Amino acid sequence: MNKDEFLTSSGLSVQTLEFWVEQQWLIPEETSAGQNFSDREIARARLVQNLKSEFGVNDEGIDVILHLLDQLHGLRSAFMQLHSGMRDTSG
Amino acid sequence: MKSPYEVLGVAPTASSADIQKAYRKLAKKLHPDLNPGDKSAEEKFKEVAGAYDLLSDADKRKRFDNGEIDASGAERPQQQYYRDFATADDGHPYTSSSGFADFMDADDALAELLRRSQQARANRRGEDLHYRLAIDFVESITGAMKRLTLPDGATLDVNIPPGLVDGQTLRLKGKGAPGRGKGGPGDALIEVEVLPDPRFARDGDNISLELPISLSEAVLGGEVRVPTPTGDVMMRIPKGSNTGTTLRLKGRGAPRRDGGHGDEFVKLKVVLPRSPDPELEAFVTNWSRGKDFNPREGRTS
Repeated sequence: MNKDEFLTSSGLSVQTLEFWVEQQWLIPEETSAGQNFSDREIARARLVQNLKSEFGVNDEGIDVILHLLDQLHGLRSAFMQLHSGMRDTSG
Repeated sequence: MKSPYEVLGVAPTASSADIQKAYRKLAKKLHPDLNPGDKSAEEKFKEVAGAYDLLSDADKRKRFDNGEIDASGAERPQQQYYRDFATADDGHPYTSSSGFADFMDADDALAELLRRSQQARANRRGEDLHYRLAIDFVESITGAMKRLTLPDGATLDVNIPPGLVDGQTLRLKGKGAPGRGKGGPGDALIEVEVLPDPRFARDGDNISLELPISLSEAVLGGEVRVPTPTGDVMMRIPKGSNTGTTLRLKGRGAPRRDGGHGDEFVKLKVVLPRSPDPELEAFVTNWSRGKDFNPREGRTS
């Protein structure tokens, strides 16, 4: 979806979205037709909204949480690859 | 069903600040995105969030306390969490390997496996893209070049091989989504729909066609022009041909897989002149042998 569609379905304001992209909390795909957002960005935006509005996390905290969370998911991906690699070699 | 107070672990007399505090404490532990490996987190979080939605709204809380509504109305709608996308194996820009990069530098089997999986992700083949294309019946027999306009405005030239059947899928190697690194692009898969032609019907490699002929062509025979998928041809109609007589045009059907072509079967249909013809009427009136012939002979009705 393009930027306008993303703003509609995420409920973010333009300024908020631009700040989040600047902070690299969201990394839309850059295409010749402009920025392209996927369902992954929607879900990630919702996570940031949850953290800010419901858990009272401030912007500094969001940075730290996302950084740790991205490492956790990197580890989980590597773990999944290892797991399937082990299955392939043993089976 | 537990009351929302029990879910949040607060007393019914708790202040709204206490309720928020209790909720935040639980939600931080239970939020599915902060527990990516815990499948039950989503259910538990939903329960806690639902209870908080009810108790954080002063009006709803009052109505609940008065027994006007119960806790069942406090369900949060289904939500897709970031964790459902985070481990998707398509090398998205958020994943970070800085949590285990040191392990990859080591010189052992684990490091080797990690490096290989990292590389496999970096060199993933692009996805196959699916398209649909409608072609004319004649094009399905003779083959054709078609140009497909893609959603992004680009075009794709598709070579329709002769003899293609309805629903067949063509694979264009390397015309799918681009891959990563050395992964190479995916393929374009094109499902071809063959639009029916009112003249022709296809049965395997053979094609059939109904051809109207005049009474004089039927009685006296003659040369007629017959459409085939590869163009019109002249065909001899033998003397005394009838409705239902089927003639074969050898090699005018669909191409066979092992070379050669099927046949076209031409089924004749005798058609009388459009408006009644006095001369014909006069002839038939005086045609005694015609009246003696009964085509329904031997039938019970």
